[in-house]
Amino acid sequence: MKSWRLWHFTAASATLLFALWAAISAFGLVNSLFLPGPGLFVSSFADLLLNGYKGYSLPEHVGISLLRVALGFGTGAVAGTLLGLGMGMAPVFDAFAAPFIEFLRPLPQLAYLVLLIVWFGIGETSKVVLLFLTALPVAAIAARDGVRNVPRERIQVARALGANPVQILLHVVFPSALPEIFIGARLAVGIVYATLIAAEIIAGSNGIGWLIFDAGRFLRSDYVFVGVLLIGLMGLGLDLALRTLERWIVHWAGR
Amino acid sequence: MRTRNQIGRRPIIAAGLGLGAAIGLGRYARAATPTEVRVGYFVETKPTMIAKSLDWFADAVKAKIIWREMSSGAEINTGIAAGGLDFGLAIGSSPVAAGIAQGLGYELIGMVDNIGPAEEMTVRTAANITKPSDFIGKKIATPFGSTSHFRLMGFLALNHLSQSQVTVLDLSAEQIVAAWKRGDIDAAYVWSPAKAEILADGGNVYETYKELDAAGYVIADLIVVSKSFARRYPDAVTGFLSAYGKALDLYVSDPDKAAAIVGKAAGVSTAVAKANLAEYDFVSLKDQLSAEWLGPPGQPGKFAEVLHGAAEFLVQQKSIRSAPDLAAFGKAINTTYLAKALG
Repeated sequence: MKSWRLWHFTAASATLLFALWAAISAFGLVNSLFLPGPGLFVSSFADLLLNGYKGYSLPEHVGISLLRVALGFGTGAVAGTLLGLGMGMAPVFDAFAAPFIEFLRPLPQLAYLVLLIVWFGIGETSKVVLLFLTALPVAAIAARDGVRNVPRERIQVARALGANPVQILLHVVFPSALPEIFIGARLAVGIVYATLIAAEIIAGSNGIGWLIFDAGRFLRSDYVFVGVLLIGLMGLGLDLALRTLERWIVHWAGR
Repeated sequence: MRTRNQIGRRPIIAAGLGLGAAIGLGRYARAATPTEVRVGYFVETKPTMIAKSLDWFADAVKAKIIWREMSSGAEINTGIAAGGLDFGLAIGSSPVAAGIAQGLGYELIGMVDNIGPAEEMTVRTAANITKPSDFIGKKIATPFGSTSHFRLMGFLALNHLSQSQVTVLDLSAEQIVAAWKRGDIDAAYVWSPAKAEILADGGNVYETYKELDAAGYVIADLIVVSKSFARRYPDAVTGFLSAYGKALDLYVSDPDKAAAIVGKAAGVSTAVAKANLAEYDFVSLKDQLSAEWLGPPGQPGKFAEVLHGAAEFLVQQKSIRSAPDLAAFGKAINTTYLAKALG
């Protein structure tokens, strides 16, 4: 089916959901504490935009969160990719580092939250380190697998043509692994994003994750809804940005 | 075929309805005692732990109790709102004020303690904080949404300190200890054992509670029950309160024995339990019925005003949307069970 027709289905599902939401709240079927209606949602959104939330304006909360994600993800993805390239190139190094990476990857962040506070304090460092540690293993494993999947012949041909190891890495291995590195990066940004709330509840007083957490404490579900909408849109935006970058840099991938 | 079938079904339907009604009535007849009671509680050094660990609560409500450990009063609010909890044991007064203001279906049936100096500001001795203006530029940590947080906000408001002058950080009690040891914070508003730990580690008490209590920022730990549970099982509610009363009597008559039981239940030494217990003012059930606190049935005491004030403060803080008038808080206090428990 053509995409413009599929678009109609998307619009229909969104309209249906909105109508259901409006109907539930209009007929008072559910306490507004559990499900704030569209009217309340809009007025709370306006209130947050005009007056901010507990000392910070709404754009400040959003900006601080994006900055944390950018720092944690940026450092974690770069370090992870370098680590993964090394692991993919040298089996000895892989054997050396893999246990730690494999251990770190599925570890729930809340498990070591208190340790991060003890080691890095309650400022920005512990928050960014948490996001860094989340992004690192995902990026490393993607890069390692990307290197492993580079066709042997391609490396052999380059070597036969007289390329040295550095040239092979830069001109053959890295570009060939790049599509998988990008897939890893998109995966990592999603996981980092999910960890944001855990990071921001460390001595938080700002950030969109903290806003949702703090508003939820006293069941201010109208603010929670606004926060969830914003954090969802920010996530979509981040993924879109990475996809654009991907299409721009590795435009040849999958062809 | 159709006709015969329809006729044939009727007696079966009738019998089914009869059976259903019989089961329904049977259940109704047994309804005075619940099959299980779900209680949200905190592991802490209070006489409530005596009645918990010696099964007095279970004996008094004549049912199995499912104990659910909570990490905040707000979590108890959510639990009762979601229908997952029947009782909230020793929930702080600020979450209760928020819950009543939001129309959560519970009533306040009793108190555990008047917090008084048990939650208090601790300042780092080296930071040399002796008067309110000394807090400017300092970092104070407290668990947000707690009674301590409420008191701290009250302290800042009374002394005209804004949140841009003082950094207020949201840390849980154990995180406060970690941040204190690292030297990341200059002060903390919290309860023991965290308070005792930081006091022992270069801290001293900066007294705020007398000034705050006088200004209406009284904080207390309370007992709430979901309205639907109380309507169905009033005897269990009375029993629950008398079990706590019995535990309180034991603490009053034999503090050493009580401290040993509480310490064991909370996982601390008897000496620590005894010291923590001594910090709280456990108001007797009889005093709770006085106008000073909850008041006799139908005549809400001064505590209704405390809750009303707390709710209005929480509205200012944007923690809740709006607060109803004083009468709504009076209506949420129901001391009929307490009066019955005292016999």
